Amino acid sequence: MRPPEDPVAVGYGTGQEHRTTLPVGSDATVRAYVRLLLRRHRRAFSWVVGLQAVAALAGLAGPAVLGRLVGELTRGTTAARVDRAAAVFLAALVVQTLFTRASRLRAGLLGETVLADLREDFLTRAVALPPSAIERAGTGDLLSRTTTDVDRLSVAVRDAVPQIAITAVTAVLVAGALVVTSPLLALVALVAAPPILLGSRWYFRLAPQAYRAESATYAAVNAVVAETVDAGRTVEAYRLGPDRVRRTDEAIHRWIAWERYTLWLRTAWFPSVDGAYVVMLVAVLGAGSLLLSAGHVSVVQLTAGVLYTQMLVDPLDLLLMWYDELQVGQASMARLVGVREVPDAVVDHDLRPLGQQLLVDGVSFGYAAGRDVLHAVSLSVPVGSTVALVGPSGAGKSTLGRLLAGIYRPGTGSVTLGGARLADMPAERVRTHVALVTQEHHVFVGTLRDNLRLGRPDADDDAVRAALDAVDALEWALGLPQQIDTEVGSGGLPLSPARAQQVALARLVLADPHTLVLDEATSLLDPRAARHLERSMATVLEGRTVVAIAHRLNTAHDADRIAVVEDGRISELGSHDELVAAGGAYADLWRSWRSAD
Amino acid sequence: MTLRRLPLPDPGTPDLRSPGRFLLWLARMQWRIQTLGVLYGVAWMSAQAAVPAVLGAAVQAAVRNDQRRVGWCVLAVVVLGVVQALAGVMRHRIAVETWITAASRTQQLVARQASDLGADLSRQVATGEVVAVTASDVERIGGAFDVLSRFAGAVVAFIGIAVLLLATSPLLGAVVLGGVPLFALAVGPLLKPLERRESAQRVTLGRATELASDTIAGLRVLRGIGGEELFLDRFRAASQDVRVAAFATARVRSLLDSLQVALPGAFVVTVTWLGARLALDGSITVGQLIAFYGWTAFLVVPLRTITEAAHKWTRARVAAARIIRVLSLRRAVSPDAARPEPAGVGTPVLHDPLTGLDVARGRLTAVVCGDPEVAGRLADRLGGYVAVENGAPAEASALLDGVPTPAIATDVLRSRVLVQDKDPVLLSGTVAELLDVPRSGRVGAAEAVGAAAAHDVLDALRDLDGTHDPLDGRLTERGRTLSGGQRQRLALARSLVADPEVLVLDEPTSAVDAHTEARLARSLKAVREGRTTVVLSSSPLLLEHADTVVLVDPGRAPVVGTHRALLDLDRYRSVVTREEEE
Repeated sequence: MRPPEDPVAVGYGTGQEHRTTLPVGSDATVRAYVRLLLRRHRRAFSWVVGLQAVAALAGLAGPAVLGRLVGELTRGTTAARVDRAAAVFLAALVVQTLFTRASRLRAGLLGETVLADLREDFLTRAVALPPSAIERAGTGDLLSRTTTDVDRLSVAVRDAVPQIAITAVTAVLVAGALVVTSPLLALVALVAAPPILLGSRWYFRLAPQAYRAESATYAAVNAVVAETVDAGRTVEAYRLGPDRVRRTDEAIHRWIAWERYTLWLRTAWFPSVDGAYVVMLVAVLGAGSLLLSAGHVSVVQLTAGVLYTQMLVDPLDLLLMWYDELQVGQASMARLVGVREVPDAVVDHDLRPLGQQLLVDGVSFGYAAGRDVLHAVSLSVPVGSTVALVGPSGAGKSTLGRLLAGIYRPGTGSVTLGGARLADMPAERVRTHVALVTQEHHVFVGTLRDNLRLGRPDADDDAVRAALDAVDALEWALGLPQQIDTEVGSGGLPLSPARAQQVALARLVLADPHTLVLDEATSLLDPRAARHLERSMATVLEGRTVVAIAHRLNTAHDADRIAVVEDGRISELGSHDELVAAGGAYADLWRSWRSAD
Repeated sequence: MTLRRLPLPDPGTPDLRSPGRFLLWLARMQWRIQTLGVLYGVAWMSAQAAVPAVLGAAVQAAVRNDQRRVGWCVLAVVVLGVVQALAGVMRHRIAVETWITAASRTQQLVARQASDLGADLSRQVATGEVVAVTASDVERIGGAFDVLSRFAGAVVAFIGIAVLLLATSPLLGAVVLGGVPLFALAVGPLLKPLERRESAQRVTLGRATELASDTIAGLRVLRGIGGEELFLDRFRAASQDVRVAAFATARVRSLLDSLQVALPGAFVVTVTWLGARLALDGSITVGQLIAFYGWTAFLVVPLRTITEAAHKWTRARVAAARIIRVLSLRRAVSPDAARPEPAGVGTPVLHDPLTGLDVARGRLTAVVCGDPEVAGRLADRLGGYVAVENGAPAEASALLDGVPTPAIATDVLRSRVLVQDKDPVLLSGTVAELLDVPRSGRVGAAEAVGAAAAHDVLDALRDLDGTHDPLDGRLTERGRTLSGGQRQRLALARSLVADPEVLVLDEPTSAVDAHTEARLARSLKAVREGRTTVVLSSSPLLLEHADTVVLVDPGRAPVVGTHRALLDLDRYRSVVTREEEE
């Protein structure tokens, strides 16, 4: 059976897949990270293995005792000897129970500690990613790694890793017991090895990718239905009901195609393993009875041997099952450690700006090789002045803004602040000078105070209140249930977009950079809220150098200078009055906007 | 293989009277494979249960040096092994099939319900609740059917072994049958504290995940302003809370694990001891002793399956209750079948009694309103999206060709009037799929994209994807990768392709830059030529191109005129030019 189309490669609309520029960890990175974890927790790991070994050894008593009993019973024995054998069996059981408890407990603790490491290592790396990498990849992919992949890996780490350690120890010991009981019978039991190894090798080569596809297509079914529900109003308005039903059925069809494929894999694999167990048991039993009649093994050896052989089935089965589970975890692990492969920005830690003059000199820039978005742009932003960037969508205004904020490195030319290249400075230093404000106004989970103190963690309550006052937000902030201690963000008190925007501005007041790049900062607000906010913003902007990417012409009107960006070039540059007088594209626009000739 | 026939062309009409009936209905709809599964399950479990007896007989024969008999026993093991392997794999196949059939049928039912109810669904239940149904409840329904074949096998195996034991040795039989369930129950008291600790752990885990997602979602802000350490420390503390809570769980769980060794183990010891005593006085053979030993060890499996089935069925009932709650929803106002036809030229298409707005047929009407919330509600009324209280519309509804909108059949209303929301939702898929909506055919996709000035959006999506045809670029859910202005223009293109008789646009260009807005305003008028269009906006660039501008103010009569004429009105000018109010 051939596998269906790969959902990831084809890109079915799961709504969750993100074509990402963030790397997925190579096998080498994953291995190196696993080795690191093992080294960190070597002692705990040895304890788990050691304790389980004792437990498993004690667990081997059963067949031995029964085998001896059978031997003695056939030869004739006494009740006292039977009782003594039972007592030994019981003692072994007690030891097995106690050591099982100890090893499982330690395995559980180890699993949780490793999981905590994984979570924390991942987020520590994620928050240190270079801003350009975040800007390009977006946060969607990182977000799904934080939630879905951490979740999937939890199953593997919490259960699969300890179980594999435990069952592997058990399997080895049971096999050892069989060898000790009768090397001849152990040799016979080996006939099961080839079918299990060959069948499993085939299965594990195909299975991981197939299960990934299966769960991706299943997630896609859920995503389609969830989207239909979520966008109910749109579905009804555009009469998309029948279309949504058709898409759901298509998604189900794709999912079931993968279910059929993985089912086929198992249909081939299960009998090969189960069959191997049967062959093993039959071989030991058949050859054993021949060896018995020839006098090469005793009844005791045969009984214990058969029982050990049967005991071997369980740990082998578990081992294969958990290995399967582990493979699911491995894919997630690769995505988690992948962020370690993002190269850090090459920066000069000693580079500091001399002064505040922002200068763009002959800059060309493109996201993809050979397709420049900006062409030889030069622009000087005088200290303390306001420059507005206007122009049609897609002309490169936002890209220019990000270059001015030091997020991207120019292809050719340079963007300098006080003579120092922004791209060569560490992000942590750039942001003390220049801040980029976008329409994305994330309110973090936490108190209002925590939300403001990002840029100045040591700010006291007076400073926080002053910042709120500066953006005209103190009044409502003091009206909140716990004032600035009120929990906001997801799960807390929801803030309206206008208030979220004020919070974002108050953050800037506290962080106090001398230069601001504003990108459509108010474009998502309704006109009335925007106007209100623009007034509070004036206080924040006062005395700072501002580059404003303006959608609304009144913002441009108030700027000291206006740069019209068209097709990646600055086509007009000057004050409002100069540009209106020049009668170019800006003048046309202004006239129609004011409609007041 | 019936999986090939899924998804079903029609999922059928479910029995929604109770969760139990719903589950039974699902079972009835797939009774053939369900029965087959039970048969395979019984064969599979029985073959396993028979192995200890054969092994015992084999050792017995070997002791007696009866090679012939050993030979037969070996053959029996082979046969049982083959039966077990084949019946096992068939049982598994059918269990998966029943799982998928039940789950996909339920998924189809929910999808059809959501498509039918549309906007009404989220008005009646929280979106999250319906999404939870598709995300987890469907799986639980599937689980109830998956376990059925194993359950049947377990019950038969248990009864079979019980009969055999009692027939051979009433004493041992009584010990095993009485004791095994007793020990199964003995674990019970530990399950409650385990569940409690697990749910406490889930709470801390939820908190940690929330903090992590929150930090990632605001990562641009963090990297742009600072505060990474603040948030990392907070996350580390939450992550360590999870670890501590998990330790508490691990303690109970390890105890449970060790009990699962101790309890069945105690049984095996008891049975071995009693059995050896019985063998000593000759009441049972050595072979039977071995068989008893094997059975006592084996019985754990069917018992665990029976407990699992009980657990899964309880969960499935809860899931079914949630599912039938969603499937039982009906439209809040059931419209009698008023199907108004477009009336003659000269009469207004739409009339809103609350604001006094009249929408002229075939013209581009711009509505200016100082309060965006009032404007939003006006748009809702024009589209007939009226909040319902106690079965009646909450406020005076708008009239379409003289007929109140709630009295109009939904399909007629939606085919005549299209309201584009202030924050329109883009459905995921390719751009071509986005623009593939029911349409009049008058406006092509390329023309609509051009009129909405959305070419650069298509180019950006295409560059992201590396596809050649701009229509093949992909949107993620809700178009989150796009900026607000880009989303608005794509949504406008979609509305223009649909080309409805009446198009109501609520702030369609609020996030679009002035250059593009000016271009768009001109082409909008051209594309909608001859059709009725209402634009709620305060942007002069749009207002200038409207045939009529209406200034709407609750409690006052509407003022009608052209943009230029109305500019003389202070009230109007202050809204549209955004001059500082005096």
